[in-house]
Amino acid sequence: MSEIAAKAPTTAPPRPRRRLIASRLVPYLLLQLLIVIVTIFGLRLLQPSDPEDFALSDFSAREDGLTRPVTLPHFTSSRYSLADPPFYTGAFTFRNADAASGWSVYLPRFSNAVEVAVNGVVVLDSRRDANANRPDRNTPEIAAIPASLLREGSNEITVRLFVWGPLKGFLDTVYVGPDAAMRPAYETRTLLFVTLPVVFSAWQSILAVILAIMWLMRRREPVYGVLAVAMVLGVVQAFVPPPVPPAATSRLAAVLLASAPTESALVVMFGVLFFGWRWPRYGALLFVPGVVVFVIGLIGGPPLPRILFLVLGIPTVGLCLFLMACVTATAVVRRQDAASFTIGCAVTIVLVCWIQDMLTVLEIVSNDRIFVSRLSYSAMLVAIGAGLTWRFARALNQVDSFAGQLVTRVREAEQRLKASFAREEERARAAALANERTRLMRDLHDGLGGQLVSIVALSERGHEGASITDAARAALKDLRLVIDSMDDIGGDLMLALGSWRERTTAQLRPHDITLDWRVATPQGVPLHPELRPWHVIQIVRILDEAVTNAVKHAQARRIAVTIDTFDAGQGPYGVISVTDDGQGFALKGFAPAENGEAGRNGQTARGLRNMKSRAARCGAELDLSSDASGTRVRLQLPQRFPDSDMAAG
Amino acid sequence: MTEQGETGEPITILLVEDDAPTCWRLQDALVKAGYEVRSAGTLAEAQQALTGGAPRVLLTDLRLPDGHGIELIREMRQRFPDTEIMVISALGDEESVISAITVGATGYLLKDAFPTDIATTVRDLVAGHSPISASIARFIVRRTQGAAPNSAEPPPGPVLNTAKLTPREIDILWGIAKGFSYAEIASHLGLSKQTVPGHIKNIYRKLEVHTRSEAVFEAVQQGLIKL
Repeated sequence: MSEIAAKAPTTAPPRPRRRLIASRLVPYLLLQLLIVIVTIFGLRLLQPSDPEDFALSDFSAREDGLTRPVTLPHFTSSRYSLADPPFYTGAFTFRNADAASGWSVYLPRFSNAVEVAVNGVVVLDSRRDANANRPDRNTPEIAAIPASLLREGSNEITVRLFVWGPLKGFLDTVYVGPDAAMRPAYETRTLLFVTLPVVFSAWQSILAVILAIMWLMRRREPVYGVLAVAMVLGVVQAFVPPPVPPAATSRLAAVLLASAPTESALVVMFGVLFFGWRWPRYGALLFVPGVVVFVIGLIGGPPLPRILFLVLGIPTVGLCLFLMACVTATAVVRRQDAASFTIGCAVTIVLVCWIQDMLTVLEIVSNDRIFVSRLSYSAMLVAIGAGLTWRFARALNQVDSFAGQLVTRVREAEQRLKASFAREEERARAAALANERTRLMRDLHDGLGGQLVSIVALSERGHEGASITDAARAALKDLRLVIDSMDDIGGDLMLALGSWRERTTAQLRPHDITLDWRVATPQGVPLHPELRPWHVIQIVRILDEAVTNAVKHAQARRIAVTIDTFDAGQGPYGVISVTDDGQGFALKGFAPAENGEAGRNGQTARGLRNMKSRAARCGAELDLSSDASGTRVRLQLPQRFPDSDMAAG
Repeated sequence: MTEQGETGEPITILLVEDDAPTCWRLQDALVKAGYEVRSAGTLAEAQQALTGGAPRVLLTDLRLPDGHGIELIREMRQRFPDTEIMVISALGDEESVISAITVGATGYLLKDAFPTDIATTVRDLVAGHSPISASIARFIVRRTQGAAPNSAEPPPGPVLNTAKLTPREIDILWGIAKGFSYAEIASHLGLSKQTVPGHIKNIYRKLEVHTRSEAVFEAVQQGLIKL
C-alpha cells in the first residue's frame, strides 16, 4: 500500500503535485476526524440501559480457592481449564407481593459462559446457547426463576463463570427482579447484538451470491470475486456453531471462526482492485497470518486457533484496516469521487470500532466489554455491496444510454450516408448525362455533321442528283442509327442487328443486291448486360462500312451476314461476318496507292482504318480478308464490352 | 398500270403532308404506281377532302400546321373503319409511330423510302398485310417485358397496353425485332408463313385504344391515373 502512495509524487513535478495532494487530503482527514468523533459519541449512545433498580453488584467470588468480596462488573484471569471455574455468590431479597409477574435473572454480558443457580438450583446454562458462546457477539441471557424456588426474604444466587482463554473472564452486573422489568433491556440487547448481526449476515450472503454471479459472468473483473469470497467467509463465521470446551472435535469450525485475518486481507485486496490498481505480488504476504492461523489451528486444535487469533489475527485485522484506510485516502486524493469518499468513511468507522474493542480488551476503557467491530464491519461490507450494486445499475444505465446514443449516431450516419448517396447519385447522373451528350456530339459529328457539310458543299458546287442524294441518305441513315442506338435494348445486340437488317435490306433493294441473313444459333450472339449505346453504334457502323464497301467498291451482287456464337472454353463470344461476292480489293498498305485508282483506294483504306479503330474501341477484333472472289469482314465481339472507350481514353 | 381494289375501282389514297417537296415525292411514287392520290397540306384540307367520301388508304404526317395527325387518324377510324391508315414519318421513331398505332394506324412509311418501296408498302397494306418494323416490334416487346407492376413512374415513351397480346404474338414480335423474316419466324414457331401477317394485324388491333372511355380504363389499369 505504501508504494501506491509513494508512486504518486514521483510521476509528476513535486511542488504543485504536493500542493494538490495536500489540498485534497487535508479536508478528507478533517472529515475522517469528524467521523471518528461522531462514531465515539455514537458508541456511547449505543450503550443499552439496564434496569439499575434490580442490579446485584456485591458478590463474593471464589477463584483458585480464594474467596473475596467483589463488585460487578468483574474480570477474572484468563484460563484454559474448565475445572473449578470462578464462582460468584450473592444474595437478593424477594417479597411475595411482587410475585405477580414472576421473577427472572438477567445477565447483560459475560464471557465466555455462565451457569446460574438460585438457591442451589440451576436456572440457566448459557453454554447451550450457540450465540452466547461467541465472545464477539455480546449476547445477553435471561432466565425465569421458578416461583417455587423463591423464598420470602433473602435468596441466594450463584454464578459459575466458565472462561476459555486467552480472553479474560468477565461478568457484568447481574439483575434479578420481576420479569417485566428485565425483559425490555434484554430484548434491546438481543436486537442489537444477536438479531442485527444475523440480519447483516443474511444480507451479506445474498450480496455474496450476487457478486459471485457477477464475477462468473465477468471473469476479467476479479474485484467482484474477491469481495464475494470475503463475504462468504463472513457469513460462514456468523453461522458456524462455535465449539464449546471441553469439546475439541470441531477443529474446522474453530479455524473458520478465526478466519477474520484472511477476510480482512481480502477486503484490502478488494479495495486495491476496486480503485483500479494492480494487486502487487508481495500483497500475498497479507494473507500469511490468516493462513498461519488456519493451518496451525487445524493441526493443533482448540485452544490454539483462539490464541493465534488473538495474537496474530486481531493485529492483522487492525493492519488491514489501516491499509484499507490508506488505500481509500489515496483513492480520495486521486479520484475525488463518491465511491472512495463513502468507503473511506466506512473504513474509518470500522477502524474506530476496532480501536475501541482493543481498548476494551486491554481494559483501558470500560464499556462493559461490548465488542462492536464485527457489527460495524458487517455494516461496512453491506455498504460496499450496496455501492457495487449501485455502480452496476449505473453501468447498465450507461450501457442503455450508450445504446441510445448508438442508435442516434447510426441514424445520423445513415442520413448522412443517404444524403451523400443522393449527392453521389446526382453527380453520377450528371456525369452520365454529360458523357451521353459528349458521345452524342461525337456520333453526330462523325456521321451526320460530316454528311450535312458534304451536302452543303455539293450543292454549292452546283452538283445535281446522285451525290447529294447519297450524302443526304447517308445523313438520314446516320440520324436513325443514332436515335436507334439510344433505345434500351437490354444487352441484346440482336435487337440492334434486327433494325440494321431492315435498314440495310431497304438500302440494298435499289442496287438489286440480296442480303443473306444467317443466324447460326437461336440466341444469335450472347447477351451483354454491359452493352452501351456507343458500343452498338460502333458495331453497326462497322457493319455499315462493310456493306458500303461491298456495294460501292466491290460491285457485289450478294452480301451474306452470318451471326454465330463460339465458345473456346473461356465463355461464349459472338462473331458477326459480312461476306460479299465482289471483286475484292488490295489490302496491302492502307495508304493511298500511286496508280490511277488512288482516290478509290484511299477512300477504302480510310474506311478500313475506321473499321479497325471502331472495333478496337469496343474491344472487338476485326479480321479482313479479300481476294478476287470476294471480301470477308469478320468481327469477333469481346466476351465483355469495355466500360470506357478504349481508344479515346 | 392502275392499282385496283376488289371492285375494280381505282384505289384512292388521301395523302396529308405539309412539306411540299415530300408531298410531291410521295405523290409521284404513288401515282406512278397507279393509285389515285388526293393530297392535303393541313388538317382542315384533309377533313374537307373527307367530305367527298372515304379514301381506301390514309397516309398522314403527324405534325400538321393546324393540328395533329393523331386527331385525323382517330376521326378516320371512327367514321370509316375500313380505311387503312399509315403514318408518314421522317425517322420512324417509336414516339410518333406508337401513338399513331394506339389510335388505329397500322405501321408507318418513311419519308425517304425509295419509290418502289413506297408502292410496295401501300400495296401490301391494301392486301391486308400490316407492315411492322423491327424497331417498333422491339419497342412493343420491351414494353411487355419491362412493365413492372408497382413501378412508381410509367416507362418513358408513349402509353402502350400490351396486356392483351398472346405469348405467340409476343414471340412473333421478338422474331421481327431480331431481324428475322416472316418465313424464318414461321419456321421457328411452327406456323404457316401466310398466317404471320394476320397475327401482326391482330397485334395492331390489340394495341389500339378504341374509345375515350377505354383509354381512361386502360390508363387506370396501368396505374397512370389514380381514381
